Amino acid sequence: MGWNRNIYRSLIIISFVGVIILLLFGISQTLSYLTTGADRSSMLHLALHKEQVYLPKLKWKDTINPGRPIERQALQDIEQDYLNAWYIRNAAYQTNSPEGIEDYYTKNARKHIVKSLVSNKEKNIAIHSTTTTHNVALDFYSADGQLVVITDTGVKEYQRVYRNNELLLETELQSDYQVMLMLEDGFWRIRHMVKEKNHSSDTVTQTNRSIQVMGNKIFVEDKEYQIKGINYYPQKTPWDMFGDDFDIDVIATDFDIIKNAGLNTIRIFIPYEAFGKAKVKTEKLEKLKQVLDKAATKNLKVIVTLFDFYGDYSVLDWTLTHRHAEQIVSTFTNHNAILAWDIKNEPNLDFDTRGKENVLAWLKEMIHQIKQFDPNHLVTIGWSDTVSAGLLQNEVDMISFHYYQDINTFSEAYQVLNSKVKKPLVLQEFGLSSSRGFWSPFGPSEKEQANYYKQFQEIIKQNNIHYLSWTLYDFDEVPGTVVGKLPWRKHKQKHFGFIDRDGNKKPAFEFIAK
Amino acid sequence: MKPKKKHIILLFLGALICASSIAFTTVLKKQDKISAVLLTKERVFEAGNSIVLDFELSTPVRTQLFIHSSFGSNVIDPDDYHTARFIVPEFMAKKKGVVSYTLLGESGSLYDGEIRIIPNTKTKIHLESYIGPPSIIAGGEDYTMQIVIPKDSFDNPLRDSTAVLIGHQFLDIEKESIVQSKDMIGWTNIFSYDQSGRILLFSKVGETVSKEFSVEVFPSLPENFEIKSNRKHVYADGNQITEFITSIIKDKYGNVLSNGSLVKFIIKNEKGLLLHTQGSTVNGQAVGKILHPDHKDTWQIKAYIPGMAESNTLTIAYTQVLDDFEVKFDHDNRKITIGPLVSFMEQLIPDGTIVKMDLFKDNQKIDTKVKTSSHGVVRFLLQEGFYASGNYDIQIKALGIQKEFKNIALK
Repeated sequence: MGWNRNIYRSLIIISFVGVIILLLFGISQTLSYLTTGADRSSMLHLALHKEQVYLPKLKWKDTINPGRPIERQALQDIEQDYLNAWYIRNAAYQTNSPEGIEDYYTKNARKHIVKSLVSNKEKNIAIHSTTTTHNVALDFYSADGQLVVITDTGVKEYQRVYRNNELLLETELQSDYQVMLMLEDGFWRIRHMVKEKNHSSDTVTQTNRSIQVMGNKIFVEDKEYQIKGINYYPQKTPWDMFGDDFDIDVIATDFDIIKNAGLNTIRIFIPYEAFGKAKVKTEKLEKLKQVLDKAATKNLKVIVTLFDFYGDYSVLDWTLTHRHAEQIVSTFTNHNAILAWDIKNEPNLDFDTRGKENVLAWLKEMIHQIKQFDPNHLVTIGWSDTVSAGLLQNEVDMISFHYYQDINTFSEAYQVLNSKVKKPLVLQEFGLSSSRGFWSPFGPSEKEQANYYKQFQEIIKQNNIHYLSWTLYDFDEVPGTVVGKLPWRKHKQKHFGFIDRDGNKKPAFEFIAK
Repeated sequence: MKPKKKHIILLFLGALICASSIAFTTVLKKQDKISAVLLTKERVFEAGNSIVLDFELSTPVRTQLFIHSSFGSNVIDPDDYHTARFIVPEFMAKKKGVVSYTLLGESGSLYDGEIRIIPNTKTKIHLESYIGPPSIIAGGEDYTMQIVIPKDSFDNPLRDSTAVLIGHQFLDIEKESIVQSKDMIGWTNIFSYDQSGRILLFSKVGETVSKEFSVEVFPSLPENFEIKSNRKHVYADGNQITEFITSIIKDKYGNVLSNGSLVKFIIKNEKGLLLHTQGSTVNGQAVGKILHPDHKDTWQIKAYIPGMAESNTLTIAYTQVLDDFEVKFDHDNRKITIGPLVSFMEQLIPDGTIVKMDLFKDNQKIDTKVKTSSHGVVRFLLQEGFYASGNYDIQIKALGIQKEFKNIALK
């Protein structure tokens, strides 16, 4: 009885204390809410321009106008607000709510948008759209700096139209606009906007010089090129090749190992966020340049996989990824170590979570973008299986796929794919983890791994397949973002190498290239 | 023989059926691919008129029309379920520009095309005017810009090369000119004249006349000017006010400087210290005021309109207001009475005159006391708690006169 009483007592005391804590917390939250709000930064729109969310390619064709010479600062403000107006409009048509429209369209202009949105909302239509290119010429700038007329030619508008959440239409339009903007409350707002012309999209002509694809063969400097390669990460820094521990000497030594083993190609990865997203960090580019230069001196070709760990394919995010690609790709347009740009690693794995049409549309536009920035190198996509590999086959220069399934079904899968496509096929990843150990007691041993590669090399030889194996090293650590947090998964991913973590060649090394 | 003939007929019939059925199915297959033809003949519409796009389909199917215009995209349904007749919504039919459309069938697009909507000149023309800057300066170098956007009543800018009459009035000048609009606007620069004043502006397109607008023309930069002084007497009493008055300041075209222009008066005294006062102009004249000095001094005054114009240098002298004053020591010398201070007309000096007393002990300054006069008199009390007994030297300064008292013994 005494025990029970004490339990009741303590329960009452604890609940009393709990109620008091909750009460105090509630009061403090209310008070802190009441004291926030009228801060100056939000009143003066100071934080508004902080992060750029919309970065289509905008080129000022000329700024000569009869009104008055324009200042650089004004030009920048107009550009920023004009693009924001597009972004806000795109976002509004996606959600059918006029959020932010009043900031970038004058009272008379915004009426048209609002009516249009109401009409679309009634019919349950959502339009996901973005613009990728603007070529702006300044027609007029007024003496008092309050009014400007611009002509925007060749505006590429990608639109995806949904009705009742079903895809109705995917379209890419190219139009010319004449736009009048006025400076109101510190914003350049659109006052008049007139679509002047519509023209059909232009096609990018491939002008590959040193690297070409003819039929299903790859030619480098007019010689047929057979990819014998490996996916490469340094042993100490897997999935973080360009991080703080970047060491070009370690990479150079590894390149020697790869070259001496009889291979001619490596595949490396550019993480999207670590490279700075839309604003690529120069120090990262510098490191990438070192790696590519080193590869060039060692006579290795490089397949550069972009957008690693990128997962947002939404239409409104397109322009940011375009700028990311532009900064990287255009830097190395003339670098002769590069064989191909691999747009994305295994994008088909995102079909379920991000929507197949989202992913494919993004890839298609990205190929188009990259070919504009760099017509000299090939473009491919690293599909995770042979089934998806046929997708976008007309857009890519070579078709890359990964194979981790049963080795005995490979030949068949390869033949099926080969009969479907007319471009070079690259087995871009394959391998077996010698994962036998605590987490995988029945996993393959190092001998079995060697045997696997021996068998695979025979198939490769028979069919003359371009290949890149996974991977050079066993790793000590695998980041959770790669295969998840489960230790047995990580364990497997640690043992795919030809060389173990102590630097000893595993039996499989004999079959790395033959 | 008979059965043979029958067989042949049967065979023939069979072949016929086969052939016709094949032909029929191919026809059916062809029909699977739906084609559409636009029946509407017009490709150019005036804004505000109803726009109907009527398509003829080879097979009636459910259709939708995707339309893309200046302010965004929409999808519309036919006005009747079975036809492919679309009425472009009013808000889109009212806006100038190219409208691209795509006719959508059940599986993909059937027809692409575009129409052009032009501004409707049959409606009342509206004028949107922007004038800036709203004030300029005289002299013919500065200008204001008048921008006119001629529009139809649906807020569409009229087509380029619309004639816009732009005119203005200033004093007895009235000018008009016709400009052709380009890039949505008709515009002109209006340069100022030599006189200051107000320019009235207007514009006209067709029958529509704009509102009246005005631009203020302010005088141009001021020219150099003269100053003079005005004071009640020449004595340095620290009490009266001396005024500095400028001549009427004008620009080089003879326009009187705008009211409220700031003039700074810089005064240099004998010691080289700079004093400063200022005044703003009324009817071209500015007045700066400053207190007389409280000691004999000579001032050199120069006025500036910073960055634009300056005046001549004026020199004025102030004479001493008194020659001497009395000092009385009471209460064991601890109460010091200075005064009465009497001015040049034997009046008591006005209250507020500063009297300063320095105390020295063993040639070390130990304190400075400052008081203002009241009824011509100042009293200092040296209290026992603060000033120990002993001998002090005392210096007293007032109105530029200094007196010294050595070895004053406090008890």
